[in-house]
Amino acid sequence: MAECGEIGMMLGAFEDSELEPNEMQEVAFHLARCESCTGILADYSTLGRDLRSITAEPSLAGFSSAVIARVDRLPQPVLTRIARYLRRQADSVGSGFAWGGAAAAIAVLTIILMTPYAEQFANRGPHSTTSIAGHEAATAVNQVAEATASEPTMADNDSHADISRLESENHSVAVWSEPRRDTTVIWLPDQP
Amino acid sequence: MERYQRRVVGVALAVVHNQDDAIELAQETFIRAYENLSKFESRSSFSTWLYRIAANLAIDFWRREGRHVVLHGEDADNEISRLPTSQGDSFKEVSRSELSARLKQALEELTPEHRAVILLREVEGMSYDEISDVLQCPRGTVMSRLHYARTHLRNILKDVAGS
Repeated sequence: MAECGEIGMMLGAFEDSELEPNEMQEVAFHLARCESCTGILADYSTLGRDLRSITAEPSLAGFSSAVIARVDRLPQPVLTRIARYLRRQADSVGSGFAWGGAAAAIAVLTIILMTPYAEQFANRGPHSTTSIAGHEAATAVNQVAEATASEPTMADNDSHADISRLESENHSVAVWSEPRRDTTVIWLPDQP
Repeated sequence: MERYQRRVVGVALAVVHNQDDAIELAQETFIRAYENLSKFESRSSFSTWLYRIAANLAIDFWRREGRHVVLHGEDADNEISRLPTSQGDSFKEVSRSELSARLKQALEELTPEHRAVILLREVEGMSYDEISDVLQCPRGTVMSRLHYARTHLRNILKDVAGS
């Protein structure tokens, strides 16, 4: 059987399971027959528990923020400062491009959506409009067209409605111009 | 940072045995790591590298503060030869509060190297290889320091029990 002095050197490592398998076996064999070493091993175990129990868990509240604050206060090396400056510039140029692109997209979209109205406005000129709710638009267009064709003077006597042009892009709405009165007439169908 | 901070504090605490100093040293550890991140090589794990910084800072701090006489160049045989005998009765019967008080005092009496080894093992649960990496000493030195620290603490506690 191994001597207690020799085994005593290995007791801690035996407790920690840090010995080679043959050494573990040797210590276990010794412990089975030696009360003294068994007592020491038990004391080591108790010692470990006591050490864990007396070590208070440190409070780490605010630890990360304190470290970050200290890092922020660090003087930056010249190269790092240059790199950061360049990165900031690149970011601002990038964001400029992004804003510019967004503005251009909005402008293009606006132009696409507004073009029909703009054309209409340009053709009409700056004059007032009147809307009339009444018959079917198509009928109205026909009637007005017939009246214009057959009785040009009547319109002149009646209401100065010298209807020279009819505009109807929508089948449910009739639009025509009365240049003399500087008026555009919009004829809407009856509402149900 | 949250992932490592508790153990970094634990490593520093194992050496300096003072919570305020340990937290201060742990913060310094992260700052040093941040400053030297480019020097980190993957030969060891990041955590081991971090704990090593903490241990070095803590040991330097302890030496700078001059709170004790550091033993240099001692090998396992010298340490063991200075040990009191480890034979004797168990100290189980000593009251817990008395034991705790004496244990804290006994820890203060250890050198930072011995205290670090036993606290890293018992409190932080590090393996001998991890301790060897963190404290940058051979595994055999870890074993001998542990043996010394355990025997020393046990004998002090036994004295308390005897008195």
